[in-house]
Amino acid sequence: MYVAVKGGEQAIANAHRWMADRRRGDRHQPELQTEQIRDQLGLAVDRVMAEASLMDVELAALALKQASGDLTEAVFLLRAYRTTLPRLADSVPLKTEAMHVERRISAAFKDVPGGQVLGPTYDYTHRLLDFMLLAEGEIPDPERAQAGLEACPQILDSLDAEGLIEKELDDGTEPYDITRDPPDFPVDRATRLQMLARGDEGYLLALGYSTQRGYGRNHPFAGEIRQGTVEVEIEVEGFDAPLCIGEVMISECQMINQFGGSREKSPQFTRGYGLAFGRNERKTMAMALIDRSLRAEELGEPVQGPAQQAEFVLAHADNVEASGFVSHLKLPHYVDFQSELELLRRLRREHDLREPSEQERPV
Amino acid sequence: MHDITMELSSSEQPPYVPKPHQWPALKEAVHHSQQLFRQVLNSMSEPGTFAEVDLAPLPKDVAMSPAAWAVLLVLCDLDTRVWIADELNRDGLAEAIAFHTGARIVSRAEEADFALVVPSTCQAMPRFSEGSDIYPDRSTTLIVVLASLAEGRSDASRRGNTCWQLSGPGILNQRVLELDDTAEALMQRLALNRASFPLGLDTILTSGSSLTAIPRSTRIQKPLEDASPTPFTHPAKERV
Amino acid sequence: MTLRVDDQGGLAYSGYNFAYLDEQTKRMIRRALLKAVAIPGYQVPFGGREMPMPYGWGTGGMQLTASILGADDVLKVIDQGADDTTNAVSIRTFFERVAGVETTTSTAAASVIQTRHRIPELPLSRHQILVFQVPIPEPLRFIEPSEEETRVMHALEEYGVMHVKLYEDIARHGHIATTYAYPVKVDERYVMDPSPIPKFDNPKLDMNEALMLFGAGREKRLYAIPPYTQVKSLDFEDHPFEIQSWDEACALCGASDSYLDEVITDDQGGRMFVCSDTDYCQQCRGEVA
Repeated sequence: MYVAVKGGEQAIANAHRWMADRRRGDRHQPELQTEQIRDQLGLAVDRVMAEASLMDVELAALALKQASGDLTEAVFLLRAYRTTLPRLADSVPLKTEAMHVERRISAAFKDVPGGQVLGPTYDYTHRLLDFMLLAEGEIPDPERAQAGLEACPQILDSLDAEGLIEKELDDGTEPYDITRDPPDFPVDRATRLQMLARGDEGYLLALGYSTQRGYGRNHPFAGEIRQGTVEVEIEVEGFDAPLCIGEVMISECQMINQFGGSREKSPQFTRGYGLAFGRNERKTMAMALIDRSLRAEELGEPVQGPAQQAEFVLAHADNVEASGFVSHLKLPHYVDFQSELELLRRLRREHDLREPSEQERPV
Repeated sequence: MHDITMELSSSEQPPYVPKPHQWPALKEAVHHSQQLFRQVLNSMSEPGTFAEVDLAPLPKDVAMSPAAWAVLLVLCDLDTRVWIADELNRDGLAEAIAFHTGARIVSRAEEADFALVVPSTCQAMPRFSEGSDIYPDRSTTLIVVLASLAEGRSDASRRGNTCWQLSGPGILNQRVLELDDTAEALMQRLALNRASFPLGLDTILTSGSSLTAIPRSTRIQKPLEDASPTPFTHPAKERV
Repeated sequence: MTLRVDDQGGLAYSGYNFAYLDEQTKRMIRRALLKAVAIPGYQVPFGGREMPMPYGWGTGGMQLTASILGADDVLKVIDQGADDTTNAVSIRTFFERVAGVETTTSTAAASVIQTRHRIPELPLSRHQILVFQVPIPEPLRFIEPSEEETRVMHALEEYGVMHVKLYEDIARHGHIATTYAYPVKVDERYVMDPSPIPKFDNPKLDMNEALMLFGAGREKRLYAIPPYTQVKSLDFEDHPFEIQSWDEACALCGASDSYLDEVITDDQGGRMFVCSDTDYCQQCRGEVA
């Protein structure tokens, strides 16, 4: 019995010690270094950082190590650490158009200014297990271009110039901060995007997918997907221009979707937007689909699919909240269960008194 | 030092204004604020019960009460907006609040999370926020600086004082508060909370280092004028 | 902020603020608590923080406890009424580490009691604070899933659906089938979820001498019942509210007035009933001995 027994404290300590042993595994194998996780399991590190809303490759790698590779557990560890950090400054909005691009593609145009840059990707690999990796084969260095990339303007800006796509203007309002204030449904788009950006990738993927299968279809084209580093800047008193405090790797996706418009307003393409820390292309694509589907009401579209229902989508996107509440079912609930037992026995007694049992009933 | 100041001011010099750092801070941020908060929480939970705040003295002759200043130190920070009544807006108070708490001072009453008021403020009560039907908590908390404040006995109010009978959540039967007559308008206004509930103003009353609270859930009556069928009764032993 | 791994393999919390939360977060929660007390039964949204324990495991209660706790408090933590259940042990240990406060299993000796699913049997007294862990703070949630809608229902005092739901139970089973988290009306205004306490504990909510605080961390809501506040369990004239009762008495202490847990003793259907409130059971046995 794991409850109603004295010594719960010792049991917990022993369980944690056993888990630590399991995590370490066979002592004859060298211990996994966080540097190895950071460098060789980079996409896992990136996903943990994105869903924890904390950019720190070192600590994300540590969280993954400590969690035995359980991504959700690692996200939770990093999130719980993040919440203890003091807030020193707010950055000015990232200039993704000034990104040092390592990958940038558009599915909407054959070629684009700055070029289609495939960059590091698993796309177009044949998903055949590479047994050379089992044998620790040497990996050749990548080919490097002689010249740096040209400037890569945002592709949607070219449509913008023609007025073919809705404009997105910064109205200067202070964005709501979901890490400090509780969501107040209905929430605005900036808040929705914050919630989606830290949302669980698997969840966003499933919901984004559902829009493609007709549950709130919005005719997407991958206008531009880019990945690379951008400068983070803060405003400091006494300086005219913002100061750069470092660079972060991010992924951005802009979907072009079918028209909005009305009798007064000429038809225009609409947008869906996705952004995440690190190399999180799949997540940003799903996020852009959902961002657009959550705009249904704003754009006068019927709300039919689950991915169009903002409160439903957003209230269940956070995997730290979700895994906590699902896993809390492991906690003892015997008091409430006893209540149910008591009622059920009573109902059955009363039922039996009212009606003869099945066997006694004449056929 | 003080005498010199008085002389200066009597010869048409600008009055002495304490510097922000001359207003007392908490002894330390963690435990002192916790103790003071529990006093405020206790008074809000049991309206009309008193607490004496323990705080270093305020600069001499300021209009603020130590208890009201303590409440600000405990509850205000960068995320709060404070409105100050003209009568209290002196002695460098606004600068001191900004210096010690980082709270923003606002001039529009409806924006205030906390409003520092005196009884005369309530003669023409500014439009403080009472919250909304959906979010009644988004309302202004009044912090009132009074000349006197005492636990009252309905039949024993001193001349010029009025006793107010409190009942409702946090109060077993009744509790009585004795206030001087300048507080009439304030108390009449707070008595209206009941009709607008759950909208309303929550109030922390202070005088010197004493504080008590009247949340919007409290029913307020004047026991002597009121001929209600459940008059306030004292335990017999108190009459002896 | 430095963490060091201590000898037991756990984390030493010396780098954290007293009671874990930073002071700004405590102030935010404290401001919300005062509003909660001023509007009994109304759910105040608050900027809930991640705690180093999972959501659903008491993070709301822990944030409230952390915001009110002082160095001179004596803390008791119970889960299912018991001090020695795993999560109670874990939360108590947490506060011993991050706040260094004295802890107790005695209901009478505690100044702050954090609880999950029970109200202690021993009547509480003035200046004690009972902090409830709440999973779903919205009593209307299982009737109306949208927060936007339930907010309006509370604003309009539109609680008819709740009565309809309870009445449907009666029509189907002859009884109200809600046995825990049984909805109450606080001071004749807000319908409130008392957290998943068995309805056996509902009468203890009414005119209790202690301040009762409720924290829902994942849902980011907190609410309160001040001392001496009228709390009424919803019911119907022809189906008045009633609490559970047992034919048995506690097999350990003989108490017949406490909430009993059923313990299965063998695989032949053997079972015994014991007090869910472990402190109460011990006190009863102490008196007998």
